[in-house]
Amino acid sequence: MRRHHRWNWNALAVVGLLAPILTLSAGGARGAIQDATPAASPVAVECPPDAAGAPEDGVVRVGVILPLSGTAATVGNDERAALELAVEFVNEDRAEVPLPLAAGAGLPTLDGAQVELVFADSQGQAEVGQSEATRLIEDENVVALFGAYNSAVTRTASTAAERAGIPFLNAESSSPDLTEQGYYWFFRTSPHDGTFSEGIYDFIESLNANQSAGLETVSLLYEDTDFGVNSAAALTEQAGTRGLTIAGEVRHATGASSLTAEVQALQQQAADVLIPSSYTTDAILTVQTARQLGYLPQMIVAQDAGYADPAFVEAVGADAEGIATRSAFSPDIFEVKPVAGQVNELYRAATGKDLYDVPARGLTGMLVLLDAINRACSTDPEAIHQALVDTNLGEADTIMPWTGVTFDDNQQNELGRGIIVQVQGGQYRTVFPPEFAVVEPVVPLAPWDQRP
Amino acid sequence: MTGFARSRPGGWLPVAATLSALVVFPLVVDDGSWLNTAVLVLLYAGLAQAWNILGGFAGQISLGNAAFFGIGAYTSTVLLDRWNVSPWLGMPIGAVIAAGFAVAVFFPFFRLGGHYFAIATIALAEILLILFTNWAFVRGARGMTIPFVRGPDRRPTDSWAFLQFNESRVPYYYVVLGLAVLAVAIAIAVERSKLGYYLRAIKNDQQAARSLGVPVLRYKLIAVAISAAVSAVFGTFYAQYLLFIDPETTMRLELSVLIALVAILGGVGTVVGPLLGALVLIPLSEVTRSQLAGSGNTLDLVLYGGLIMLIAVFQPNGLVAVGDRVRRRRRAVRPAGDGAERGDAPLVGAPGAGD
Amino acid sequence: MDGDVLLQAIASGLLIGMVYALISVGLTLIFGLMEIVNFAHGEFLMLAMYAAFFGRSLVGLDPMLSLPATVGLLFLLGVLTYRGIISRILHAPMLAQIFATFGLGLFLRGLAQFFWSPDFRSVEAPFLAGLSGGGVEVGSVSLGVPQSAAALLAGLAFLALYLFIDRSRTGLALQAVAEDRATATLMGINSDRMFALGWGLGAACVGLAGAVLATFYYIYPSVGVVFALIAYITVALGGFGSVPGALVAGLLVGLVEVVSPTLFGFSPAYKYAVVFGFYLAVVLVRPQGLFGRF
Repeated sequence: MRRHHRWNWNALAVVGLLAPILTLSAGGARGAIQDATPAASPVAVECPPDAAGAPEDGVVRVGVILPLSGTAATVGNDERAALELAVEFVNEDRAEVPLPLAAGAGLPTLDGAQVELVFADSQGQAEVGQSEATRLIEDENVVALFGAYNSAVTRTASTAAERAGIPFLNAESSSPDLTEQGYYWFFRTSPHDGTFSEGIYDFIESLNANQSAGLETVSLLYEDTDFGVNSAAALTEQAGTRGLTIAGEVRHATGASSLTAEVQALQQQAADVLIPSSYTTDAILTVQTARQLGYLPQMIVAQDAGYADPAFVEAVGADAEGIATRSAFSPDIFEVKPVAGQVNELYRAATGKDLYDVPARGLTGMLVLLDAINRACSTDPEAIHQALVDTNLGEADTIMPWTGVTFDDNQQNELGRGIIVQVQGGQYRTVFPPEFAVVEPVVPLAPWDQRP
Repeated sequence: MTGFARSRPGGWLPVAATLSALVVFPLVVDDGSWLNTAVLVLLYAGLAQAWNILGGFAGQISLGNAAFFGIGAYTSTVLLDRWNVSPWLGMPIGAVIAAGFAVAVFFPFFRLGGHYFAIATIALAEILLILFTNWAFVRGARGMTIPFVRGPDRRPTDSWAFLQFNESRVPYYYVVLGLAVLAVAIAIAVERSKLGYYLRAIKNDQQAARSLGVPVLRYKLIAVAISAAVSAVFGTFYAQYLLFIDPETTMRLELSVLIALVAILGGVGTVVGPLLGALVLIPLSEVTRSQLAGSGNTLDLVLYGGLIMLIAVFQPNGLVAVGDRVRRRRRAVRPAGDGAERGDAPLVGAPGAGD
Repeated sequence: MDGDVLLQAIASGLLIGMVYALISVGLTLIFGLMEIVNFAHGEFLMLAMYAAFFGRSLVGLDPMLSLPATVGLLFLLGVLTYRGIISRILHAPMLAQIFATFGLGLFLRGLAQFFWSPDFRSVEAPFLAGLSGGGVEVGSVSLGVPQSAAALLAGLAFLALYLFIDRSRTGLALQAVAEDRATATLMGINSDRMFALGWGLGAACVGLAGAVLATFYYIYPSVGVVFALIAYITVALGGFGSVPGALVAGLLVGLVEVVSPTLFGFSPAYKYAVVFGFYLAVVLVRPQGLFGRF
């Protein structure tokens, strides 16, 4: 059945579909920081006489792979803004920010070379991650790769780096085995799920010790992804040694249309504590469904991800009150670490949002990488690798609640750790560990119908 | 009168020219990201060709072909991971398993008509995706990493025995080129055989074919078995190319849709169509993403979606129809036949004469 | 098995099932009229949810108050889609129709992120969520007010659709076109107009669904993908083109999804697999779906 078909180029009525489009403008004027704190004393770098030195065009290019579209696009774009801020610190003379390389413009040992980030969108897909990594390495001539948030994408993208022989720095993927597969070029600045899970249990123990919370049983709710499964595995493994009983675990599909069956299963388990590991969409739905079904454990301590996303608090409003989550960062750290507040101001001026967990880890990781390139005195991969291995940053050199950055034999940062934040008065407030806590934790959760 | 190599003077010339161009391609472009794009083009050309055997020739629209692809990827990877079996052996084993699975499952499916069949294939692939995501034996959602073959200096190295190339990706290109040629050869063989003739008869009018004594179900099952086996072979290749697989990467719905999309935009029911579709769509997707997506504003999706829409609206029979039209126009101007060089394929749905 | 738990699961399943039915009915309406599956259906839903969101954040209207505007906008979108795209490929192969609408879906999703950013949003303090503390207790069963309102609105929409299609002159004309285009044209019915109306109605239904969904579900550019797949399964299960089929199938999908893990005690991680398996089981017995005509 051959059918004839009319050509009609002139009527692209598709354009008519654009009618109901509204734009939201974000951002605003960049706020100026008045009270300049003294810059961290720059570590004097002595370059070997045979160092390769600055690249010919005076630009050091770093490839960054992030989920800039798809389900994780919010986090990806927020981290992107944080990375651009990090590069701004390096490229411009920002002596008022007491972080490595902020004072003076460019990378000092490379004749003040400017850093340029080349961004690529992974769409959250493992195969796209590898394609883009390859393109960045071979076409964009980047000296190192950075990213890629989703553990699966980090895996395939770091494979490309390993093949090509250039450094890959990961700052946001928490799957423990990423640093356990013996990759020569792979470094991670962020703590992984194992470390983070210890932090969650430390917090629960402290609630029992200091506030007589009497928390003994735990329900795990986790999404059916690499992140969810690894998180649950780490939590299950450590529960026994902490004297906690796992009452049950519920695995859910990501991006579910409803979570009623899941919450009902949790209700049946009736554990004291719920530890969920889910991304933002499912976190919102979990809490809304829990409220609707009247499911309320004594405490919810989440494994980061969606529960640490400000969009979560915004979406569920008062229902978020009292929910705690492990995180790696909270803007109120500035009460202990002024530089964190300073960076947060700059970030908010650029994006209209507060700096949170993932963007903060990204910014820190990028500064670690650029610091290493600077100490390498060259863009030679081996030199950068050696400089990364030799990384030795102290507590004052990052905005994170970490004691610093040094890499162990697996090239995993051994000085990182998580904190616990709790939603109090609609804000994430740091409640644990004590040295970073700004308020006391509140336990148990208030009944759903007794919230402001 | 289908196929691009019909037995007529000059018919083999473009084929030979295309093949030689493909063989020298990596020598010309050197090891750039174009090589990666070329590998993906050939991969999707092969997958779309496999889809075409069932969807194009027999008219059974599957939106679940990623299931076969995933079975191929997982079979060879599990064999390699557990028993150190070379992917070269895992590849045919995966193909056989995928074909057996396809026959067993599609046996009842073929009762379903049109959209019910398409939705059933989606349901099937989604079920498989969910089962693999929760199946500890294949490491569930965590996926399976294929470790590097490393040389004495601990650097990742090449290994033909284990189908892994890390120093240069050119061998991957030749492997996938070989597989794509194999897929095309199978498609041509199917098209020219009695099987192809029957499949087209089934597509045009299933009732009529049945009343003429064509064993409809048997031929549909043969078609799906071939389609599944070819898809699985590419699955194994893909696992070795990425060195990591998880259910999302190998079985998700968008992958099934993309495979069908490549064949359809190229032109279903022809051998050239899927090749043309892959040649246009994959670079389009790669280029729009690499050029536009880095800014994070999804203009690439807008452009990509918009172009798919435009092609569907203005070229509903697929891109092969463009070549056809051009040729007809040129013939009208210059009757002497220099029009046979390219795009030598009929409109979709044109009655095939077979052999 | 605890009886209360089961009762709660059934109630929740029916409520979400009504929403699925409402999302699906637009899809089946269009199919019944012209045998085209709209693969941009999920994106229509997404746009309707954004309309409800912006109605609140820019104009300050509750989704329930902006509902007529949302439905109207979506009606317009449906008509425009028909005029701009579908009317050009009415006679094209089915595959071209599938991919024209598929391309439209990608296009709209891309535009949504381009203009509105990928952020997750939710309607601020919707009236329904605040009503009676957002929940009511019926015996041992707790029902969400927004969910219950959504189910109620869906029921009303189905009733209105039924009255319109089976009782009004225009509705009968629609049916005539669906039945036999050529004869309907001979009888003086402008089938082109009827198609445009059908697309408008189909989109308006999903507009209604989006407006109510926005009161209890988050909004982001890919949100349509979550529901589109369920809508396709629902429409096929009920029988392509059957409005009562969409209603029954929506309820069944909701029930299977929520009740089966509770009833049979398997992990909820498999619940969508069970929904898909349920569809396969039904169509293998009834290849035309529950209420299909062929």
